[in-house]
Amino acid sequence: MRIPILKLQQYLLISVQVDLDDQTALQFQEDLLNKIHQEGSAGVVIDLTSVEMIDSFIAKVLGDVVEMSNLMGARVVMTGIQPAVAITLIDMGIILDDVPTALDLEQGLEKLQQELEE
Amino acid sequence: MHAAVLEMIYNQRNEIKENWSEKMTLVRNDVFKEKVPKTLFQDTNEEFAALIFNSFDAELEDGRAFLRSFAEKLIRMGWPLSYFTKGMQTFRRVVLESISSGSEIPSKKMYETFYEIEEWVDEMVNQLVDEYSGSWETTLHQQRLALKELSAPLIPVFDNISVMPLIGTIDTERAKLIMENLLDGIIEHRSQVVLIDITGVPVVDTMVAHHIIQASEAVRLVGAECILVGIRPEIAQTIVNLGIDLGKFPTKSSLRKGIETGMELTKRQIINV
Repeated sequence: MRIPILKLQQYLLISVQVDLDDQTALQFQEDLLNKIHQEGSAGVVIDLTSVEMIDSFIAKVLGDVVEMSNLMGARVVMTGIQPAVAITLIDMGIILDDVPTALDLEQGLEKLQQELEE
Repeated sequence: MHAAVLEMIYNQRNEIKENWSEKMTLVRNDVFKEKVPKTLFQDTNEEFAALIFNSFDAELEDGRAFLRSFAEKLIRMGWPLSYFTKGMQTFRRVVLESISSGSEIPSKKMYETFYEIEEWVDEMVNQLVDEYSGSWETTLHQQRLALKELSAPLIPVFDNISVMPLIGTIDTERAKLIMENLLDGIIEHRSQVVLIDITGVPVVDTMVAHHIIQASEAVRLVGAECILVGIRPEIAQTIVNLGIDLGKFPTKSSLRKGIETGMELTKRQIINV
């Protein structure tokens, strides 16, 4: 199972529609990095609105993806993290402090724009 | 109950009642400290005595219904449970005294009779206690609900800016509620900035600080920003003395300054017209 990665001008949009399992997450990590390399994208928005559960491994993978993308010169914003997911992450002690977040896709794109302007 | 006992109590009912009423004045001094008007107390005693004697004749279910309505009346009047329990205890004592003084019952049957009376009195006391504790539980439940509703409101003040004023001490249960309300409210009102106002929180110890830090991190995860406002001088002192690091998110001394910062963050400003 692969997660589709859409290109919108200089950005990449990913809407995760299923609960991620370990394999899918790792596949996604690889796909995204390849895509960034291929397209030379400046920004990435990962939308997690439909994700209802994130375990510690997935959280680590997502954190890694953000770091790796930053290394490749693409800023990443995560959007639409659900309250229940946020509470679980905090309870597990996963803070994801290096990851910029936004409420939804729209605000996520705005935030990317701001960060790229700086 | 034993027919002979019943008959005896029935025959001596006036005497028993008189004795009982007399002893109940002691209860009045004891329980109410004479705060209740004498006539009211006597009227209620009359009713109580009638109720007790009726419970001999009435069917079981009827007796329960009478007792319930009497209990409800007294709960409304705010009379304490000890009035009931003491009343019943006194009644038992009076009945037992008059039985043992009367010679109608053979001494062999005495124990049995005592036992029966005990059982009957206990039954009534149990029901009364049930009524009272039921009413306490309902009150407690309602108060708890009210407290829950009041404990963590999220108020949208401007587009994208909401305020959560916290008043009173914060424990783990409340912290959980605060976090849930905060996050759900952010999604509902699409807030980009939330101000947590701790002006009304009397003490900020490590645990409270920990809860607030956790809440603000969760807020950041869902994509909003958290500003802690209303930090009083003594709170600032405690926080630094305890070595709590609140450096990760902005803090302001007053709600007004917090709202100004929130406006800046959402690229707006308040101007005079």
